[in-house]
Amino acid sequence: MKCTVVGKRVERKDARAKVTGETIYPSDRSREGMLWVVAVRAAHPHARILSIDTERAAAAAGVVRVLTARDVPGENAFGIQFHDMPVLCSDRVRYLGDVVALVGAESRRAARQAAALVAVDYQPLALLTDPEQALDPATPALHPGGNILHEVHFHKGNISVGFQKSAVIVERSYQLPMMDHAFLETEAGLSYFDENDVLCVESCGQYIYRDRKQIASVLGLAEEKIRVSAEMVGGAFGGKDDITVQIQLALMTYVTGRPAKMVASREESIVAHSKRHPASMWFKTGASKSGKLMAVEARFLSDTGAYASLGGPVLNLMAEHAAGPYLVPHVKVDGHVVYTNNGFSGAFRGFGCTQACVGIESQMDLMARALRRDPLAFRQANVLHQGDAAGLGYEMKTAVGAEPTIRAARAGKLYRQRRRIKKDRTHVSPSLAPFIRRGVGVASQMQGLGLGVGIEDQAEVEVVLGPGGAVRVKVGTTEIGQGAYTAYAQMTAERLGVPLEQVEIVGADTGTCPDSGATTASRTTYAVGNAILLAIAKLEQRRSAWAAQGTGRENLSARANFTVPTQDRQLGDGLPHLLYSYGTHVVLVEVNTLTGEISVEAVEAYLDGGRVVSPLGFEGQSEGGIAQGIGYTLFEEVLLDRGRFLNTNFDTYILPSSKDVPTAIHTVPIEVMEKSGPLGAKGISETCTVGVAPAILNALEDAIGIRFVRLPVRAEDVILAREESPHES
Amino acid sequence: MKIDLSFTLNGSPINTSVAVDRRLVDLLRDELDLTGTKIGCEEGECGACTVLVDGQAVNSCLFPAPEVDGKHVITIEGLGESDNRLSELQQAFVDQGGIQCGFCSPGMILSARALLNENPNPSQDEIREALGGNLCRCTGYVQIVDSIQTAAARENSDD
Ligand code: FES
Ligand code: FES
Repeated sequence: MKCTVVGKRVERKDARAKVTGETIYPSDRSREGMLWVVAVRAAHPHARILSIDTERAAAAAGVVRVLTARDVPGENAFGIQFHDMPVLCSDRVRYLGDVVALVGAESRRAARQAAALVAVDYQPLALLTDPEQALDPATPALHPGGNILHEVHFHKGNISVGFQKSAVIVERSYQLPMMDHAFLETEAGLSYFDENDVLCVESCGQYIYRDRKQIASVLGLAEEKIRVSAEMVGGAFGGKDDITVQIQLALMTYVTGRPAKMVASREESIVAHSKRHPASMWFKTGASKSGKLMAVEARFLSDTGAYASLGGPVLNLMAEHAAGPYLVPHVKVDGHVVYTNNGFSGAFRGFGCTQACVGIESQMDLMARALRRDPLAFRQANVLHQGDAAGLGYEMKTAVGAEPTIRAARAGKLYRQRRRIKKDRTHVSPSLAPFIRRGVGVASQMQGLGLGVGIEDQAEVEVVLGPGGAVRVKVGTTEIGQGAYTAYAQMTAERLGVPLEQVEIVGADTGTCPDSGATTASRTTYAVGNAILLAIAKLEQRRSAWAAQGTGRENLSARANFTVPTQDRQLGDGLPHLLYSYGTHVVLVEVNTLTGEISVEAVEAYLDGGRVVSPLGFEGQSEGGIAQGIGYTLFEEVLLDRGRFLNTNFDTYILPSSKDVPTAIHTVPIEVMEKSGPLGAKGISETCTVGVAPAILNALEDAIGIRFVRLPVRAEDVILAREESPHES
Repeated sequence: MKIDLSFTLNGSPINTSVAVDRRLVDLLRDELDLTGTKIGCEEGECGACTVLVDGQAVNSCLFPAPEVDGKHVITIEGLGESDNRLSELQQAFVDQGGIQCGFCSPGMILSARALLNENPNPSQDEIREALGGNLCRCTGYVQIVDSIQTAAARENSDD
C-alpha cells in the first residue's frame, strides 16, 4: 500500500509549542489559592511506626493541614497489580520512599520546613537487602504472603538431552544493576475541585483511567466525581506507570477543599519511584558442532524491593525472552522475584527483556566464539521464523522480522568492514595509538508488544469530523515524548485523505477522552492506531449512508474500541505475547587500555516494528534508546547501602551526556508489515534499547578479550579486569 | 530581606523586588509566570533551567536573582521573532526532531544560542562540548546536534 502522510518526515504535532516554552507540563501548573504539598517519607528503610506526632508541624507558620493515615477515607492502599502500597503508612515502613504524612502549606518552603517537624517514633526492624536471603523461608516476611512475590518454572523438550547433544556448552552468571528512569521532569501535578465539584488531578501518569480508579478507591468517591488528565509529560519510560503524586494530591484537595500542587525534588524522585529491577541471572547454553542451538537453561533472581508493582510480569517477560529470537529445542527457565527493603522496582522500557537479553546475547557470542563461527551468521542460522515454536513452546503466529534485521546487519558497513575499522588508528595521536583497542559487537532481540495474555488490553478512541474539514481525535494515552500523537495524526490524515494540519489530537483527559489503555508496552501505535482506523471506517460507512439518502452532515463522530489480540493459551500473567518487534544492533567500541576509558564510537540499529509511521520519530526513539542502553551498560547504577540511597542526583547518578553518545548512529528500518497492524505498523519504543547492552559487552570482548558479566562496566573495571588477566593484550 | 531589582527580560524592562536569597529560576517561574524555563535537578547538573544573562548561558537554579540587576536576561519565551514566527534555531529543532518530551528543549536551545552567538559555525565536537551541561533523557542528542548545525547553516546563509 502506498502512503502519502504515513512514512513521511513530518513535523511533530507538539514541536512548536515545545520550542517556544508554551507547552504546559505538570510541574508548570498552578492555580489561585493552591497549597504546596510535601511528603514526609520514612526515616528508616524498615521499621515499625510507634507513633506519629504532627502537632508541631501543624502549628508551624503557613501550614494548613498535615495528613496521616487516619485522614484516608477509603482504602489506604494502591498498586498496579496488587494494592500493597500504603498511601500513608500507619504501622510499618518498608523502604525510604514510604510516606507517613503529607504537609499542605501556603508555600513550598513552609511545607518543607514543617515536614521536618513531623515527629515519627520508629522501631527499626531487621533489614532484608540480600535477595538470596529473601528465598530462605526462615527470613521474616515483608508481606503476609512471604518474601517470594512470584516464581516461574518452564521447560520445553528435555534440557539434559539438549546438553548431551551439545558440542559446546557455555555457563555464566550475570549481575544487573538497579537503574533509574531519570525522566527529566520529576513527578508533579496539580489538583482542585472544579465548579461542578469534580475533583481534578492534572498529573503525569501513564494511564489516566487506572489512576482515576485508584484515586476513587482511596477517597471512597465515585469515579465520575474524579477527573484525571496527563497530556504532555516530561518523560516517563515506565517510571510513571505506578501512581506517584496523584493520590497524595487528590487526598490533600479532598480534605482541605483547596487546590494543591506537588513537584518532587530530584532526590525525592530517585528515592521514591520505581526502578529497573536489579537481577542476578545464570545461563547455561549449548550448541551442536554444526552450530545449531540445542539448549538454553536460565535461572533468574529478580529483586522487586519493598512492593510488588509489576515485579511478577517483569519476571514473566524475562522468562519469555530468555531464549532470545531463536529456535531452541530444549529450554528450561526458572525464576523468582522477591521482596527486599531495596527501594522498589517496576516497569522500565524493555520490561524484563532488557535483562534477559544481556544474558542470552552474551551467551550467543560466547558460543559463536567457541565454535569459531561468525557471530551474526550463527544467530541467523538459529533465528525464529513465523510458524516456529518460541522458547517457551508456543507458536510464533504473526510477522517475525528477526532474520531480516540480522541479514541487513551483516550487510551493513560496520559489520562488513569490522576488521579494517578495528585496526583503524588514524583518528588518534601516534603516541596514544598503542593503547587503543577497538571492537565490534552485535546483539539481536525481540520484545513482546502489548500486555500479553490475561491482561485486559483495549484501546477506545473517538474521531470527530468538524466543520471545514477539521478532524479531532480523542485518545486517552499520554504524550510522554515518544511522539505517539504525531503518529496518530498521520494515520488519521492518511486514512481520511486530509492534510495533516487539519488533524488535532485531543489527549489524555478522562473528562473528554475515552479509555485508550496504558501508555506502555510498545502498544500505543498498534492499539490506538487500530482503534482510530476502526472509528474512521465507521464514520465513512455513515457518511456514505447519508450520501445515499441525499443528506449531508457537518459534525459527525464515531467511537471505536480495539482489543489487542493474544495467544490462545495463557502461561502466566501477561504471558506470552502474540506480537513482537525485533532488532539487531551492531556497535563499535574503543577502549583506552591506559585509562580504562570506554567509548561507544558507532552504532547501527536494524529495527523491525512493522511499517514506520514517522521516520523522524523512529530515528529519534532509536537514538534515545541507544543512549539509555549506553547508560545502562557503562554508567548507571542506583547504589544502596543497607536500604539507603547513595546517589540521588545527577552529580552522582551519572547519565550519558552529549559527549558519551556517538554521532555515528545509523538507524535502518526493516519494515516487515504486520497484517493486523494499522497500515502494517507495530512499534519499536522498547526493542530499540534492549539489545544495546549485550552488543556493547560483546564489542568489549572483541576489543580487549575480556568478558564482562556485571553492569555497569566502568573504567576501573577495565583496569582491574586487565590486571587479573595479564595474558590479554 | 527584599531588594529592588531592575533588568531587561526578553527585551522589556522589569522593575521588581526580590528576597536576597531568591533564585533566578523562581523569580522567572513563580513570580513572572514564565514557566518555559524548567527545573530538572536544582544543582547545576542538568541544564534544564538554562537562560541567557548578558548573552551567557547560566543555570538559573544556581543563579541568585538579585544578580541580574542591570542585566539582559533571555528565556525561551523571548527567543521567537517579533511576529510570532519561530527563530531559525527553534525552527531547526522542529525540523530536525531535536525535541521529544521537550522538557530539556528550552535549556538546550538557549545553550545552543549562546554557542552560536560566540561561534556561528561550530563543529560537531564543539556543539557536543557546549551541550555538555544539558542532559536529555529522550533523544540521544543526535537530532539535537543536527538541529544546531542546521540552524547555524541557515543563519549563516541569511547574512
Ligand atoms: S535545574 Fe538547574 S541545572 Fe538542573
Ligand atoms: S526531549 Fe525529553 S529530556 Fe530531552
